[in-house]
Amino acid sequence: MLTPPFELHIPSTLDEACSMAAMLVESGEEFDWIAGGTDLLPNYKWHINTKPHVISLANVSGLDNISTNEIGCMARLHDLAEGGNCHPLVALAAGKVASSLIRRNATLGGNLCLDTRCFWFNQTEEWRSSIDWCHKCDCNTGSDCRVIPNQNELCVATYQGDIAPTLMVLGATAHLIGPNGIRKVAMDEFYQLDGMTRNILEKGEFLLKVTLPSGVEDWIGSYQKLRVRESWDFPEAGVAAAWKKGDRSTLRVATTALESIPRMHNEEVAKSDGNIALLSDEIFRSVKPVNNTSLPPRYRRNMVKVLVKRACEE
Amino acid sequence: MTDGYRQQPGKGSDVRVDGKRVAGKLRFNPPGSGGSRPEMKERDLDFIPELEGGNEAQPAGSHLHDKYRTGTTVGKRTPLVDANAKVTGQAWYGDDVRLPNEIIGRILRSPHHYAKVISIDTSKAEALPGVLAVSTGEDAPQKFGVLPVTKDEHAMAVEKVRHVGDLVACVAAVDEATAREAVSLIKVEYEILDAIHDPKKGLLDVDEPIHWRGKYHIGSTNVQKRVFQEFGDRSKLDQSSATHHGKWKFMGVNHGFTEPHAVVAHWDSNGRLQLYTPQQVPHYAHRALATVLDVPMHQVNVIRTYVGGGFGGKSDPFPHEMCAAILARKAGRPVRITFDREEVFWVNRGRHPSHIEVEMYADDDGRISGFEIDALIDGGGFASFGHVTSYYNGVLATAPYELGSFHYTGARVWTNKPASGAMRGHGAVNTRCAIEVGLDDMADQLQVDPIDLRLANLLPPHSKTITGFRITSNGMRQALNRVREGSGWDEKFRKMPLGKGIGMGCGFFISGSGLPIHWDPNNFPHATVHIQIDMDGGVTVHTGAADIGQGSNTAVAQVVAEVLALPIEMIHVRSHESDTSPVDLGSYSSRVTFMNANAAISAALEIREELLNSASNILEIPVEKLILNDRRIYSKRNPSEGVSYLEALHKSQEDKGALIASGAYRTPPMGGVHKGAAAGLAPAYSFSAYVAEVEVDVETGLIKCTDVWAAHDCGKALNPLAVEGQIIGSCHMGLGQVLSEQMVYGRTGHLQNPNLLDYKIPSVHEMPNVTPIIIESCDPEGPFGAKEAGEGPLLPILPAVVNAVYDAIGIRVNDLPLTPDKIWSAITKKMKLEGIDDPQNLPPPRLDFSELQEKLAARSSEHNDRDVRRQRAEDTEPYINGVLFGFDPNTPPEEQDGDWKISVKPTSEQLDNLRLAGSAWSKIEQRKMEDGK
Repeated sequence: MLTPPFELHIPSTLDEACSMAAMLVESGEEFDWIAGGTDLLPNYKWHINTKPHVISLANVSGLDNISTNEIGCMARLHDLAEGGNCHPLVALAAGKVASSLIRRNATLGGNLCLDTRCFWFNQTEEWRSSIDWCHKCDCNTGSDCRVIPNQNELCVATYQGDIAPTLMVLGATAHLIGPNGIRKVAMDEFYQLDGMTRNILEKGEFLLKVTLPSGVEDWIGSYQKLRVRESWDFPEAGVAAAWKKGDRSTLRVATTALESIPRMHNEEVAKSDGNIALLSDEIFRSVKPVNNTSLPPRYRRNMVKVLVKRACEE
Repeated sequence: MTDGYRQQPGKGSDVRVDGKRVAGKLRFNPPGSGGSRPEMKERDLDFIPELEGGNEAQPAGSHLHDKYRTGTTVGKRTPLVDANAKVTGQAWYGDDVRLPNEIIGRILRSPHHYAKVISIDTSKAEALPGVLAVSTGEDAPQKFGVLPVTKDEHAMAVEKVRHVGDLVACVAAVDEATAREAVSLIKVEYEILDAIHDPKKGLLDVDEPIHWRGKYHIGSTNVQKRVFQEFGDRSKLDQSSATHHGKWKFMGVNHGFTEPHAVVAHWDSNGRLQLYTPQQVPHYAHRALATVLDVPMHQVNVIRTYVGGGFGGKSDPFPHEMCAAILARKAGRPVRITFDREEVFWVNRGRHPSHIEVEMYADDDGRISGFEIDALIDGGGFASFGHVTSYYNGVLATAPYELGSFHYTGARVWTNKPASGAMRGHGAVNTRCAIEVGLDDMADQLQVDPIDLRLANLLPPHSKTITGFRITSNGMRQALNRVREGSGWDEKFRKMPLGKGIGMGCGFFISGSGLPIHWDPNNFPHATVHIQIDMDGGVTVHTGAADIGQGSNTAVAQVVAEVLALPIEMIHVRSHESDTSPVDLGSYSSRVTFMNANAAISAALEIREELLNSASNILEIPVEKLILNDRRIYSKRNPSEGVSYLEALHKSQEDKGALIASGAYRTPPMGGVHKGAAAGLAPAYSFSAYVAEVEVDVETGLIKCTDVWAAHDCGKALNPLAVEGQIIGSCHMGLGQVLSEQMVYGRTGHLQNPNLLDYKIPSVHEMPNVTPIIIESCDPEGPFGAKEAGEGPLLPILPAVVNAVYDAIGIRVNDLPLTPDKIWSAITKKMKLEGIDDPQNLPPPRLDFSELQEKLAARSSEHNDRDVRRQRAEDTEPYINGVLFGFDPNTPPEEQDGDWKISVKPTSEQLDNLRLAGSAWSKIEQRKMEDGK
C-alpha cells in the first residue's frame, strides 16, 4: 500500500488553519482535515477519495482539553477513556473504540466525523475496480450503489462511530469553525443523510469542540456495542441511553452503526411511555440496517432490541 | 577470568545501573574448556532417564536414544535460538532484504473471476520513464505446482485468468509509485467466461472447465481429484443403536500469518539466481524456479529469509517468486516484490471451504460400527496441495478410534476463487470437527459420557488403523484422562446452568509424511544434516529444515548439543541457503522435528564416536567407560580422569582437520497396497484431547471461550517451552476458525474481506485461559521419543468448542464459524419450535447415564491395562483395527470375513447412492470415454 502524494499543511493557530482552508476553498482546491489520522490514512492508502491537500490540526494548541462540559476536537480517545475528566458515559464509549493502540492516536473530532463504511467501498483500488467501483467513490464512472443496486442516488454506507450516540443522549452541542466563524448545532442535528454527505460541515469547516450542558454530571446511562471481537472491531450496532439520575422520564436513546448516520429516538421513547420492552420494539422497527458490514442486517436489527434493553437497565 | 569470558571484551560491569544486563555482554563459560577446569557443571540427573541412572521418570518405557542423553538440553525449557534476533529486530524477513541497486516489482492482477486473455498491450508501461522491465505470461510458458502430479500454475496468465487477483503481468521500476503507475498503464483485453463460485456446481459438466487435464479429465467437470475408500463391514450398520447424521459447512480460512509474502531476486555476476524468499519449502521453490526459468538447479540459490509465520501458506512455489526472477533477469538489477495484505488473500492456499457430511454408527456395546464421510472441498483456481487434501479429509479420521467400517468419498473441485491449499492441520481439521461432534451426539443418544465412549473405543499403542496406518506410540488415553481431571469434567458436564457449557474433542495427526513427494523413498532420505567442527570447537550444523518460527533450528541445535554434551550456544545452525544446506523436504506435514532431529542425531553420533575414541586413546580408558558431560569426557568411575572436549576434538582432527559428519533420516517401509494407501502414512502420529469451557450469551448468540485444557501427546517434549507455545498458538488459530474467521465471498463472487479488520482473527480478549498439558508417550522412532506438536494440537479445539456450545444451550450449529448471528438464528428457531418466549428459559441438556455407561467404563479400564503393557513393550502381540469386533490380529480381516471389504472404487450399484462429493464418481474419465463408452 502506498499513500498517494498530497501537500500537507500544518497551521499552528486556529486563525491560520481557517485562512488556509479559506484559501484552498477559494482556489477550488479540494482538501481534507487530519487529526489523529486513524480513519483518513487507511482510506488514503486504499486510494479512497483522496485529496491533493491535507491540513493537519496537530500543531494547533488548545484543542485537546477535556472536562465534563467541554471536549476539544483533538482530545485523544485514550485520554477520554482513561483520563477520568469527561462524563463517564463518553469515557465508556471512547474506551470501546477500536484498539488501545488506535485510541492513543484517534481523536474525538475524527471519531465524530468518521467516514461511513461499507464492504463494497472500504477496499483497495484494485478491488474496487474489479467491481466497477461504487456510488460513493465512483472515479467518475457514475457507478451504481452495490448494496442496493438500481438506485443511483443514495449512499447507504454505515456510520460506525461509537461516541456520537452518547453525546446525543447527553444533549451535547457541536461547535463548528470555518472561514465564516463559529456556529453551534445540537449534536443530533450535526449528522445529515446520506452516507456521502454524512454531516452538515461545509467546505472549509471542521468540528472544533463539543460542549455538554450544565448539570450533565447528574445524568447516567449506558452504551451497548455489538461486535464480534472485543478489540479492533467497529460496532455492528450500538445503542446509547441516558437519563437524569432518579428520573426515568428524562430517558433518551440514540443508535449508531445501523444506518448512514447515528440518530436519536425521541419519538419512540415518547410512544413507549417508559415501557422498555415496547421501546426496544419501536426502535427495532425504526432502524433499517443494510448488508454492508460484517454481520447480516437482520441480525443487527434484531440485536437492537437486546441492546436497548441492556442500555436502559439501571 | 575465572567466571568465563564476555562477548564484549574490556573492563566494566555487564550490569547496568538499573540492574539489567548490558546488551551483548552475555556471560559464557570458556568454550571447549572443562578439562582444565575440573569444576565443570554436574550432570543434570533430572534430565537423564531413570533407566540410564538419572531421575527422569519413564512411564512409557525406554527409548533407543536414552543412552545418548547427557542432561544438557533435551526436555528443558529452552528459549528459541533465534529469539534474540527476533526481539532485537535483527531478524531479516522477506521485506528486510535490501540489495544495492534494487528496483521494485509490482504485479498486474485480474479484475475478473474467469476470462480468456485476448491481448496484453504493455507498450505504454514500457515507455514510462523509470520502468526497467515488463513481463507477461509469454515469458514463462512452463507450468509448475507444488505436487508433481498436478502442475497447473504459470508465473503469469497464459491464455486464461482463473480468479480475481490472478497474475496477468508484472513490471519492475525504480520505485513503487512508478511501478504502480506502470501496472495501471498495461491494457488487457479479456473475454469473460462463465465463472463458478459454488463448489457444488464444480461437480457438473461445463463448456469451459477451469483446467483441462486431457485424457485424465473427469467428464468435462471441474473435479480436480476424487477419492473413494471403503474398508470393513458395512452390512450391519442398519442394526446400530445410535446413529449420527451431520451436514456441515466450513468456510474457507486463511493462515493470517504476520509477514506478507515478499521476495527479492538477483542474478549475480556469475549468472546465478540468488532468490531471497520467506519459504517453508525452499527446495520445491528451487525446483520450480529452475523449471520455469529454464536454468539448471545448480544455477539457483534459494535463500530462505526469516519467515514471519507460515502455517502452510508459504509452502507452495509461488508465481510472484518467478515474476521477481524474470523481472530481475530482464532488468539486470535485483527486484523486490512485497505483497499488500490483500495480495496475501489472492495467493491464499488457506483451508478449503468444505461441505462435509458424516454418518456415524454405534452398536449396543457402544462400539463404533462405522464412519461414513463425504467431503466436497473447494479448491479455488489451482491444485496446490489439493490432491493430498482430498485424501486427508477422509483417511485422517480413521484413528484414534477402532472402527467397524469406514467409507469415504471425497472430491476437490476447481472454482474461480484464490487457490486453497495446505494449512495447519492440513485436511484433517474439518472432518475431525464433524466426527468429534458426531461422537458427542452419539454419546448423548447412548446416554453415556462422551469421554468414556472414546476411552472404550481407542486403538492401542502399536496397532494398525482400519486403512493400515501403523500406529506406534499412542498417548490418547492419558490425554483424555488428564483433561478430564484438569477441567473438573465430571462435576461440570451436562450440569452447568444455561449459557455455560463444557465440551471436548480429540485430535489425531501425522508426524511427518511417509512419502517424499519428489523422489523414491527407498533411495533417498527425507532429511539430511551435516555437522562440521573446526579447531575452535564451535559446531556448525547445516540443515535444509526451514525454521518458520516453529523452532526447527532450536530443535536441531538441541539434539546436537544433547548428544555432544555441549552448551547450546556452541551449536550454530545454518539453514538459510540451498547452496550450503542439504536437500530437505521443508516445513510441512509436521515432519521437521521428527525427521531432521533424527538426521541430526545420527550425524552427531558420528562425531560423538570420534570424540570418544580420541578421548579413549588419550586416557587409555575404554569407550564404554567414558561419559560426556559439559565439554568434558571423563571416566565414569573417576570424573577427575578425563579430557576436555577441545583436547579430544584436536586429537580427532589430527591429520585431517575439521570433523565432518553427515546424518540422514528415512521412514521405514509401511502401509497398505491399495490406491491412496500412501496418503496419511506417517512414521508416527500425534494424539490430543481438549476440553473447552464457553459462555454463550443466549440473547445475542455471542460465544466466549473462557478456558481450555489442552493435552497433546508429542512423544517427548524436547523443549516443553516450544511445545506449550505450539499448543497455545494452535488454540488461538483453531478458535479463529470456530468463532470468527472466514473468507466471505459475496453475491458477486468477490472476496469481501481481504484485510485483517474484516477477516476476524481473535484478539487477545477472545483468547481463553489455556492450560497446556504435555503427554509423553515416547515414540520408539522419534528423536529421543519426540513426535510433532505443531499441527495436531489445532484439531481438537474446534469440536471442543462446538460441543461446549451444545452443553451450554442445547443447540448444535454445523456451520463454521459460529458467528453470533448463526447462534442467534438457531436459538430463535428452537424457541419457535418449542414455544419458548424468552431465551433465558431454554432448557440446557442434561444426562442420565444408561446401563451402557458402566459397561464402557469397565471396558476402558480393561483397555487401560492393555495399553500400558503395549506402550511399555511388555505386550508385543500384533494388534489391528477389528480386534474389538472379534477379529484375529494375525490375519487380515478381509480374509476372516467375507463381508469385510477393501475397495477404492465404487461398484456400479453404489454409483446411484453416493453422496454429494461421491457423485463425482458418476462422471467418466476422458480416456475411458474413448474406450467406447
